[in-house]
Amino acid sequence: MNVQLQHMENTVPGLDAAGNLPGREPVVLSVKQVTKRIGSKPIVDKLSFDIRRGEIVGLLGPNGAGKTTTIRMIVGLIGMTEGDVQVKGVSVRQQFSKAIAHVGAIIENPEFYPYMTGYDNLKQYQRMSEGITEERIQEVTRLVGLEKAMNKRVKAYSLGMRQRLGIAQALLHRPSILILDEPTNGLDPAGIREMRDYLKRIAAEEGIAVLVSSHLLAEMELMCNRVVVIQEGKFVTERTLGEAAEKEKAEERVNVTFRVSDAEAAKVRLVRMEEIRLLGLSPERKEVTISVRDNYIPRVVGALGGEGIAIYRIEEVKASLEDEFLKWTGGNQIA
Amino acid sequence: MRSFTKLVVNEWLKMSKKRSFLVPYVLIAAFIAGMLYMMYNYSDQLPSFLEFAGMVISRNGLGQMLTLLVIICTAGIVAKEHSLGTIKLLLIRSQSRSRILASKYVAVLLFILSIFVFTLAAALLGGGLVFGFGGSLETGWNDVLSGALYQVIYTLVYVTIAFLASILTRSSGATIGIGMFLVVLEELVVVLLSRYEFTKYLIFANADLSVYVNGNPPMPGMTLTFSSVVIAAYVVLFLAVSFVTFKKRDVA
Repeated sequence: MNVQLQHMENTVPGLDAAGNLPGREPVVLSVKQVTKRIGSKPIVDKLSFDIRRGEIVGLLGPNGAGKTTTIRMIVGLIGMTEGDVQVKGVSVRQQFSKAIAHVGAIIENPEFYPYMTGYDNLKQYQRMSEGITEERIQEVTRLVGLEKAMNKRVKAYSLGMRQRLGIAQALLHRPSILILDEPTNGLDPAGIREMRDYLKRIAAEEGIAVLVSSHLLAEMELMCNRVVVIQEGKFVTERTLGEAAEKEKAEERVNVTFRVSDAEAAKVRLVRMEEIRLLGLSPERKEVTISVRDNYIPRVVGALGGEGIAIYRIEEVKASLEDEFLKWTGGNQIA
Repeated sequence: MRSFTKLVVNEWLKMSKKRSFLVPYVLIAAFIAGMLYMMYNYSDQLPSFLEFAGMVISRNGLGQMLTLLVIICTAGIVAKEHSLGTIKLLLIRSQSRSRILASKYVAVLLFILSIFVFTLAAALLGGGLVFGFGGSLETGWNDVLSGALYQVIYTLVYVTIAFLASILTRSSGATIGIGMFLVVLEELVVVLLSRYEFTKYLIFANADLSVYVNGNPPMPGMTLTFSSVVIAAYVVLFLAVSFVTFKKRDVA
């Protein structure tokens, strides 16, 4: 009897702790039906989503969709009209100080006191939180690679250096979730890449959850595990990206373009095959585009070879996040 | 409590790490030196060092300038956080907005104190060195210290108004403008409105308690107690509006 009970207890956390699926990380940030109205006009309308430990989630939307407002409500800079945000189960509305202690954030470009040194700026934030040791300051300084600049005034910092100091102040109090509003604004490609590498490392090594808002879609595609798309303050869709998404798609159809010696002949051969949908034909470029299941492609190649049609290229036609984004949000509104 | 002290330390460092921090102290020292030089060379009757200090600290001496200096130096304490954009990183710490604003007000009070202690010390020392440390029949330590206290209260009133203006306007320029305008026009307002009974309830008519030393209230029927109560009521009101505004504000 006892043994059985124990066995059951062991399986419980995986199954229903906070509604988690087996093997998934716990929820760190939970946005629940958050609404912001100015006058009677809703800026953000009943928005809900969760972020789990170690996850990098992108908040996407066209300009004016309410990304910045949402992020500012999460960190308490803007009040909510309705709904609530919970950080590790603690309400931002009811117990702000306790909830925000788990949050590190950079809101737009990080701004510091320009007449003070990088070190003095970090000391300011050290004094505002409990239990940050001198070693911790050194540790985050090393992590962002600013050791040599710490005794310079922030006035003399480049934007990239300020961004790094921004990450340092956000990580100082060992938060469980990092919230970044347009973190790559104004950074050059090298800076953007550096930022992306930091975030991925922090998420993977320390298990910190990350919420990023941006309108740079290609960037989000490289950085995030998942994106939440909003428009006019409303939830539109949610997508898993990267490897996880690839696995899901293994059985899905892919779009492939073949460049062949004779496009017409290839078309005639291919339409005879089941499981294939012809998407496009351009005889002048000798290309034929089809939609087909992944594991069916070798047979397509075999069939074309059997007809004596030479194949020069096989390319996958990938819908990028940008294409999908435009589809979700109705295209022309993106700026 | 320890964590609140740290917040005040933060605010003090934000003021004192600026290169311009020493400017008001240098200015005060220069003015006192100038006054000493003029009096020593061109005055027929030399004052005692206590008389000199009392003169310096009074509103007609350096007092009003001290008030203006404090307003100018503290106008940015809230406004600058907005214009630099640092408010966004300041308000997302594990500290309530009330505590953060309270720490700023305490830092302002400390600054007032430091300015007045410095001025008094410089005036006493300079006066003593030039006129000798001898006593005087008319002016004692009590007169000097109470004169300083009245001027501190006067400064506190206007700096509290400027603190409120700094929160409402989020602009240090506008705050300095409003503060100076009120300090300079206060007497004019009282004179212009003196035929109306309600004028004696205005903060302008009450801020300067030193008028009661000579028994010359700006309006008949006003007493030291009356003015003290009016001042306290106004300061509480200004602070209440400041804190409520700061707590409720959406930082966009």
